[in-house]
Amino acid sequence: MELPASIGDYTDFFCSEHHTKNCSKIFRGEYALPPNWLHLPVAYHGRASSVVVSGTGIRRPMGQSFPPTSDGKTPPYFGPSRRLDYELEMAFFVGPGIELGERITIDNAIDHIFGLVLMNDWSARDIQFWESQPLGPFLGKNFGTSISPWILTLEALEPFKCEAPNQEPPCLPYLTETSRFTYDIPLEVAIRPAGEEKQSVVCRTNFKYLYWTIAQQLTHHTVNGCNVRTGDLLASGTISGPDKESWACLLEQTSNAQHDIVLEHGGIRKYLEDGDDVIFSGCCKGDGYCVGFGTCSGTVLPAS
Amino acid sequence: MSSCIVPVSSDSHFSIHNLPYGIFRPSASSAPRAGVAIGDFVLDLSVIAAAGLFNGPFFSSPSCFSESTLNSFMGMGRPIWKEARSTIQNLLSGENPSLKDNADLRKQALIPMSEVKMELPASIGDYTDFFCSEHHTKNCSKIFRGEYALPPNWLHLPVAYHGRASSVVVSGTGIRRPMGQSFPPTSDGKTPPYFGPSRRLDYELEMAFFVGPGIELGERITIDNAIDHIFGLVLMNDWSARDIQFWESQPLGPFLGKNFGTSISPWILTLEALEPFKCEAPNQEPPCLPYLTETSRFTYDIPLEVAIRPAGEEKQSVVCRTNFKYLYWTIAQQLTHHTVNGCNVRTGDLLASGTISGPDKESWACLLEQTSNAQHDIVLEHGGIRKYLEDGDDVIFSGCCKGDGYCVGFGTCSGTVLPAS
Repeated sequence: MELPASIGDYTDFFCSEHHTKNCSKIFRGEYALPPNWLHLPVAYHGRASSVVVSGTGIRRPMGQSFPPTSDGKTPPYFGPSRRLDYELEMAFFVGPGIELGERITIDNAIDHIFGLVLMNDWSARDIQFWESQPLGPFLGKNFGTSISPWILTLEALEPFKCEAPNQEPPCLPYLTETSRFTYDIPLEVAIRPAGEEKQSVVCRTNFKYLYWTIAQQLTHHTVNGCNVRTGDLLASGTISGPDKESWACLLEQTSNAQHDIVLEHGGIRKYLEDGDDVIFSGCCKGDGYCVGFGTCSGTVLPAS
Repeated sequence: MSSCIVPVSSDSHFSIHNLPYGIFRPSASSAPRAGVAIGDFVLDLSVIAAAGLFNGPFFSSPSCFSESTLNSFMGMGRPIWKEARSTIQNLLSGENPSLKDNADLRKQALIPMSEVKMELPASIGDYTDFFCSEHHTKNCSKIFRGEYALPPNWLHLPVAYHGRASSVVVSGTGIRRPMGQSFPPTSDGKTPPYFGPSRRLDYELEMAFFVGPGIELGERITIDNAIDHIFGLVLMNDWSARDIQFWESQPLGPFLGKNFGTSISPWILTLEALEPFKCEAPNQEPPCLPYLTETSRFTYDIPLEVAIRPAGEEKQSVVCRTNFKYLYWTIAQQLTHHTVNGCNVRTGDLLASGTISGPDKESWACLLEQTSNAQHDIVLEHGGIRKYLEDGDDVIFSGCCKGDGYCVGFGTCSGTVLPAS
């Protein structure tokens, strides 16, 4: 399988309330949302060139991270990332685009969406946290992003529509949907260490936990006149749910390496190790049939 | 060599020592193709190629100049760029008489610049914006955190974020005031955000370079090879809606406050043309890590200006004079850092410097800094006062290196602010 589309721009959102609060707790000691979070779907531009298809090896990146002592004189660490993580997300492809200066309105947004894939927003947490103030994630993310090869259409997902979380406070009119819905898509993360035959499920979550819908993400993205083009990729952000089993990255599950997770087959982990195969899967269960995404996987290669 | 088969005044940006590349249409209905600026003319490279005049050892009978972007040519690398430049220079000087002695070919190949339409010169796969001015960074920190200081990482790595490739446009494109959210007018926690046209529209004077030959995912560009991956430079206006930007940008950085439009000048100046204007880059203290340490550290002395011409006003008012040489991190360091983690870059990728503010107020290269986020006004020599941009304002960047009796310049990068729709 190859990448299914030529991606002009890739945007990554931050739509899970649970993921956002967990990260805030880890970094600021405060289990809270930023002041803007309930009013707009927060996002940053990602790197299009390093989006790869499932099955591509992901090489542990080299990079800088925090100096080992905070005396102001010690240079930053430089070497292979020691905090390599996955992030379970989903992403949609733009179908028909719009010109610069135009806008997609909330009730038309769905017609601009071709379909969805699974995505692994591989992250090097040490590189990310040293670099990301004030301008956001960069080399901690852009060394590789994996997507599953099969794009599921909204037609196929139609039977799995469900209610989206209630929004409080109500969002601004341009984001207010006449017909608000999301999709019930059970998702899983498994890790299979090198040399281990069996994979161990480490996360079970669901697309439906996301606070902002795909229609809202796309509408917000164009409200200022930003143009979108066919093949653009817009990702949801880490899809963590309310309980620990549903936290969709190791940063959250290990509280930034403060404790371990236990792999049913293959030991314990704080962050990913060389040779780990990380496998995402997602599948909707119909009445006697399934509508699924297959898998999105990648093996961690040692730094070179 | 300073003779030229077309007249070029000593203050023209497009002397025979420059020869920047662009993509243009000779007329509204013609296909886009590659050209080189010379004086008040554009040399149509597709015509020169069709006449068989590129016939060197590396670069022979090329078709790349008939394409609608420069990407193929940019991907070919420095040996071919050097040979092409030499061929073009010899034709324009008359040293190779093939153009000089052929009136029909001259008529076909040399088109008055006033008649052509310029297009984006390249297909841009990814656009990255750096933050390389110490002065800009400290001024912004002062405005937002009350502290005139650099973030802890700033002296160790060239800080950057990914920008939006789809909204990079060529100079001359109108820039529509964006709609968007900004801070709620009261902080009682109950009032919804403002939503409407941005009320704090700004420009940012930057320069950007285009990647020539790229690298694969997992590879790296090393510091002493970086220059060979750089095709050339343009002026850039990183239009910014400060109210939208500051409401949205914690924790993930700038987004809708930036991606409604980014303008670049149409002519890409090569590093060959800028060679005489090399100069020392600022000293780095503390020393940077080895992977960023240059064997031969340099930057370019490029005087830059911002002017504003309000609607209905004939004259433009210069509001900023600065220089590319103020930047702490060089283009080689930016590109090297960008790939140290194995991130791939592709031909046509655009990497911008960040706002090029210098040490004094006259050199602060955006209104955010010059007005301290609208706390005071700047005075336009012709046309009143400004805090932020108003509808109808034409914002014009220019940059020009002065040689001995000739210039090597970028032309202008301009855009007019259109009212929100």
